[in-house]
Amino acid sequence: MKKDNIKLFYKEFPSNPEARIKALKSFLEKKGLIDQKALDEILDTYQNNVGPLNGAKIVAKAWTNKKFKADLINNTDKVLKDMDLNGRQGEHVVVVENTETVHNLIVCTLCSCYPWPLLGLPPSWYKSDAYRSRAVREPRAVLSDFNVKLPISKKVKVWDSTSEIRYLVLPQQPPGSKGLSENELVSWVTRDSMIGTGFPKPPAGE
Amino acid sequence: MSKAHDMGGRLDPRRIDITSSNVIFKADWEKEVFAITLALGFSSLWNLDRSRYARESLEPQDYLQFSYFEKWLAGLINLLGENGIIKDGKESGGNFKKSSFRVLEAKNVKKLLHMGVPTKRDSTTEKKFNLGETVYVRTNNSNIKVEKGHTRLPDYVKGRTGKVIAYHGSHVFPDANAHFLGESPEALYSVEFKSQDLWDKCEHVEDTVVVDLWESYLEKFK
Repeated sequence: MKKDNIKLFYKEFPSNPEARIKALKSFLEKKGLIDQKALDEILDTYQNNVGPLNGAKIVAKAWTNKKFKADLINNTDKVLKDMDLNGRQGEHVVVVENTETVHNLIVCTLCSCYPWPLLGLPPSWYKSDAYRSRAVREPRAVLSDFNVKLPISKKVKVWDSTSEIRYLVLPQQPPGSKGLSENELVSWVTRDSMIGTGFPKPPAGE
Repeated sequence: MSKAHDMGGRLDPRRIDITSSNVIFKADWEKEVFAITLALGFSSLWNLDRSRYARESLEPQDYLQFSYFEKWLAGLINLLGENGIIKDGKESGGNFKKSSFRVLEAKNVKKLLHMGVPTKRDSTTEKKFNLGETVYVRTNNSNIKVEKGHTRLPDYVKGRTGKVIAYHGSHVFPDANAHFLGESPEALYSVEFKSQDLWDKCEHVEDTVVVDLWESYLEKFK
């Protein structure tokens, strides 16, 4: 059997992460391996341009347009590409629909796989040991930590995203939002409702 | 025994902490770690599977104690170390060949992030399992070719039976790619397990867990 262990080079650096990255960055700059403008551009992308609003838009569209919804579920990657919503950590996406009988919940037990182009970067609880450990074993107890209680008639289907397939939950449209326009509906769709740890709700102030 | 990062189903008494759940970065150093990790990911010296392996190879107590971006940082340092860019906590004057390193330029960032790094490949072999078929997950969830190597087969489904509910085409095989043994694309399936077949006590008999699994993790159910 081959051996290919990774040597623990990190042990040779200061243990404080702030000091660690500072030391590392200064080497990389000196060697010309990083360009500060590129780093700024990356941060700008994930802090200002990519976030749960992208996911909310497609959910609102799916609620109001049956054909779009069918396309979104059956030809997800093509639909997202046409809408310019594909990209890093969202190269292959599967949309799972909540129904009267099924509630979907997304987790990544091995790391933190998450559909970046649709939801942005994951919240810290999504990356926590407690969520990663518990979501597959006791999803209903996990949901109660989010104040989500499901009727006994609903099956919970947990999706463990172990690979490059990223999942987005298509939540059910709340009865109180029927008749609203696609644009109005966007603000009902919460990030957590697209992970399965919450439901859509009226925008604050309404 | 499962590695520290293989957390699915581990008993954990902690509640999920949903406070400050809209904060992406808790400190400026986390932003630096995130941006530098992404930028160097385009350097062509390693691939995504290798970088996961580098993170998951931290000493178990470090993996469990480090914050999320501390893990990223330690993984990144390991990658730079094995590529000869750093040595003994310092920059290395040694063997590193800069010609093989692609520096990410600002003008390419948007384009490259948008393109992503798709892992789907053309299938070269017929897939073995059909939709609806019951399959058995092999009992050994270690990497088959590399001792203590990388794998995406979670411990909690090994030796269990489930049903194939989706086929995603052929995808780069992490167990090989993380060790630079080639992409070796394989059929990738979603397999649905009944919760009651996974856990001693399950919350609801109807509940299920779906896991994405590569073909060589699976066997015919007899």
